[in-house]
Amino acid sequence: MAAVTSVRAGRVGATKHEIGDRFRGRLFRVYIPVALFTFITLFPFYWMAITSIKSNSELLDHTKNPLFVLQPNLQNYRDLFFKTNFFHWMVNSAVVAFASTTISLVSSILAGYSLARLRYRGATAIGWGVFVTYLVPPTLLFLPMAFIIAQLHLFNNYWALILTYPTFLIPFCTWLLMGYFRGIPRELEEAALVDGASRIQAMVRIVVPLALPGILSAGMFAFTLSWGEFLYALVFMSDTTLKTVPVGVVNELIKGDEFFWGELMAAALLGSVPVALLYSFFVDYFVAGMTAGAVKG
Amino acid sequence: MATVTPRAALTRLAGPRVRLFERETHLGYLLLIPALLLLLVFVAYPFFFGIWLSLSNSQIGQNGHFIGLGNFQFERSDTVFIGAFMNTVSYTAITTVFKLGLGMIMALLLNQVFPAQRFVRAALLLPWIIPSVLSTLAWRWMFDPTFSVVNWVVIHSHFSATGVDWLGKTTSALAALMIVNVWRGTPFYGIAFLAGLQTIPVDLYEAARVDGASRLQQFRVITLPMLRPVLLVVLLLSTILTFADFTLPYVLTNGAPFNSTQVLSTWAFQTGVNGGYIGIGASISLVLFPLLTVIVAGVMLTLRRPE
Amino acid sequence: MAESEVEPGKAPREAGFTGTPEAWRITDPRWSRRDFLRTSSLAAAGLAAGPLLAACGGSGSSTAASPAPAGAIPKPRPGAKIQLLQWNSFVPAADEEIRRQAKAFSDANNVEVTIQTVTGDQLQPKTAAAVEAGSGPDIIQMQYGWPHLYDTACLDVGDVVAILKDKLGAINQVNDAFCKVNGKYLAVPYAQVPNAWTYRTDLWQQAGFTSFFKTWDELAADGKQLKSKNLPPIAVSLGHAYGDAITMWYPVLWDFGGREVSSDGKHVTISSKETESALKWAIDTWKNGYISQNTLSWLDPDNNQAYHSGLITATLNGASIYIKEVYTTATNHKFAAVSDNADQAKSATSAATLNLIFNHAVMKWTQEADTAKAFILYLMDQANYTSWLNASVGYNGGPFKALSTADIFQKDTKLKPFLDVIGQGRWPGWPAQPSKATAQSQVQFVIVDMFAKAVTSGDAKGAIADAEQKLKRIYELPS
Repeated sequence: MAAVTSVRAGRVGATKHEIGDRFRGRLFRVYIPVALFTFITLFPFYWMAITSIKSNSELLDHTKNPLFVLQPNLQNYRDLFFKTNFFHWMVNSAVVAFASTTISLVSSILAGYSLARLRYRGATAIGWGVFVTYLVPPTLLFLPMAFIIAQLHLFNNYWALILTYPTFLIPFCTWLLMGYFRGIPRELEEAALVDGASRIQAMVRIVVPLALPGILSAGMFAFTLSWGEFLYALVFMSDTTLKTVPVGVVNELIKGDEFFWGELMAAALLGSVPVALLYSFFVDYFVAGMTAGAVKG
Repeated sequence: MATVTPRAALTRLAGPRVRLFERETHLGYLLLIPALLLLLVFVAYPFFFGIWLSLSNSQIGQNGHFIGLGNFQFERSDTVFIGAFMNTVSYTAITTVFKLGLGMIMALLLNQVFPAQRFVRAALLLPWIIPSVLSTLAWRWMFDPTFSVVNWVVIHSHFSATGVDWLGKTTSALAALMIVNVWRGTPFYGIAFLAGLQTIPVDLYEAARVDGASRLQQFRVITLPMLRPVLLVVLLLSTILTFADFTLPYVLTNGAPFNSTQVLSTWAFQTGVNGGYIGIGASISLVLFPLLTVIVAGVMLTLRRPE
Repeated sequence: MAESEVEPGKAPREAGFTGTPEAWRITDPRWSRRDFLRTSSLAAAGLAAGPLLAACGGSGSSTAASPAPAGAIPKPRPGAKIQLLQWNSFVPAADEEIRRQAKAFSDANNVEVTIQTVTGDQLQPKTAAAVEAGSGPDIIQMQYGWPHLYDTACLDVGDVVAILKDKLGAINQVNDAFCKVNGKYLAVPYAQVPNAWTYRTDLWQQAGFTSFFKTWDELAADGKQLKSKNLPPIAVSLGHAYGDAITMWYPVLWDFGGREVSSDGKHVTISSKETESALKWAIDTWKNGYISQNTLSWLDPDNNQAYHSGLITATLNGASIYIKEVYTTATNHKFAAVSDNADQAKSATSAATLNLIFNHAVMKWTQEADTAKAFILYLMDQANYTSWLNASVGYNGGPFKALSTADIFQKDTKLKPFLDVIGQGRWPGWPAQPSKATAQSQVQFVIVDMFAKAVTSGDAKGAIADAEQKLKRIYELPS
């Protein structure tokens, strides 16, 4: 049985490294670690889920076992959807994240290729300059940036975020992609160039497809960082219908000195689970070993 | 909102004409234009202004004068600043070590076949995906001084009679910060390494196995070296991000107890933004700037070294 | 309104600055000297013209940006759009009332008033960003001493204050101190969130008490008794709680005679026998468990939560705990019948309190100064304001004499302590006037941390030395 499993895995052609062939080996080297990882990762989410279906009285009752819920109800979710602008916030977050990720990825692929593969004077200096801007923390940058946004009359406008998010996404994506680009053997491009392709054709037809896992992961990271960004969204967006999820949730579910924990946790879950499901699709995509197949072929 | 930005269209237009830009220099600069344009417009001014602020005695709403390194000298005698500095360094160092190790293990695991694969992959990504503000709030609720579920478990499994005042004692508060950071950050390393693992050609492993190399040897001789560029980049990025991490310490402890869990970013925020002494706040934010610049330059040179 | 573009490294206009870090004298405000002169001369001319115009019966019709002559009531400009930024009130009904009033004002005057809310923590960075950007909401709710922090960005609203003083009487000393910067009113007094003790009468009876403690020593004694009877403790935050921590520990310091700084704001006076006695009281009370020892990381919601789940007997807070128990229809009424409120404790020689203070500033960049001022006047109209106070169910209190009570306080006499504490109110940094330095010291939680450090280490002198060093860095900059 175990032998069949390993052969099947080998036939898929994926770059899966067999950690164990026998069941016992796999138990200790794969199944148990995976279970541990999953448990530790998921416990807070379990906690969020439990909290979100508890009523307020159960929540603050310290005599009960907090790990279980005795009278689950969906009131918090109902309040979230009908009494706040949660749906708007999700849409806003999605639009901003998607747009800024696209802009950042395109810019970073071009810049990353340029800095990783092409030789020209000033490349190192420019590369260094791009990344050095990354070292000034957003908690300091947001003040002068507010001034620029004000001058451009972009307060309370999607574009305020879509244009400022790439400032912390591009250096990061470029760096990441440089790393992946360098991992691809030069010979492949050189072969194409010898065959008469131009640099750009080599880039688009060979390097980019090979670096697709890297590009996907850079995109995922960019999307995630945009999705979760808080400070700029807080400062630049004011209308409650234009806020992003983190800002809207924190702004409206914390009133004075009361935290509405049930709704907060419901919002936290709803604000992340759909995105995770989307991601798992992409993770499958590149773990399926498409690239390994391309290299072999 | 079209997905084809003006810059992407320009690049496509450049296609048929590209033979004119065969020389690497021209092409090199051309490809940099989109990124540089955005960064110049939106970062150059705030960036230089931020640096100038740290060298001035400005307050919010009032620009002051250039005073050189005066703010930095001023901060040297601030006990909270020194504490924040030490906290930042240890916070970054310790969490990075853990994230690195756990991330690598996670990547190797995700690369395997096992039941409920898809579910596990989605699950392991969740800590990274959920907005940091919200997950930190959830952790705060888990470490709550009164209602901590962690304490409840600890007490009811008889590890301790009273539980720990997680956020009320310095050592446990710092530990809590690190736990949440590692929990949140490991998937970042995991996914990056996983993608890196995917670009390593399978042939190499097959060849090594045929040659009789053990799995550990394969890891050391093939995996690690080929992952080196990705490793370097991820390590550096994560280090910088952790040095500048603001949301987590701010939401979880906000410096309590008595400012002993301040990190540079939260202390800079409190002094500069809330307190109004923005010049000093800027200097606190930038104190690691020289060191990080040197490190970045070093990594840049390594990454650009011809193979 | 054009601001001079910031040019890093450019020499400032006024000379005479040696450039040492200690000399924090600000000599180059963001707005150019020319603008400043222009605005202030207009104001001066306006002041002179005011009485004349009033005598002539004219009320000075206002155009978009020029200030109306003093003495005349600012009128809203039809078609104007203004924004007011404030915090999310604990009592949703209060915010709803404000929005209702905004709509009524908008409809009646053909303008558009929007109310934006954020949490208390976020209000300050948003305000700071608006000030740095030179653009943002027209009216900002300034908490504590922010008018002093952002004095370059706030319009002189002396005219509005004068009108209100006339109609509503004297201003509460704390609102006044916060609103008046260098003799000018840069904000209009708006409200207070008074803090008083909320406690469980049933537990109090069980402990054998016949009345609530009135002095700090009685607090300690009562805490001791609670402990001996194994009842839940008295609890107050020793952490970085935005509101609760300072409303407790500043009065302790003051009542024992301790002072952070001299009244001229120039010399740090924290190191004194009085401060030591305050710390000693805190150390003894805490170490013996007469107040809860679990509060070092408490933020504002923590004492509320602890009370609602029955884990503490008494705590210092705004009226939110009481309101949630008694008035909130949603869930908890567990302790509705057994919750009561009491005045802040005092010592034999002093009875100081500290409350959250809110004032409204009209920002310099606004294009609709008159509409903004008119809206503020509308909010402060006695009928409107009182209905807001009633909607707040005792959470808010008024800053003018005529606004110092409302029906709700008569209807529910248990809310009376929240009115009583307003009169003795002081501000962080008292007896010095509020300033950028007092704001900095408050934001850094210097006094609260001093107490926290003292109780955990037992070392009063060490905590004082530490606080003194921090305060010196904040206050004693060479002038």
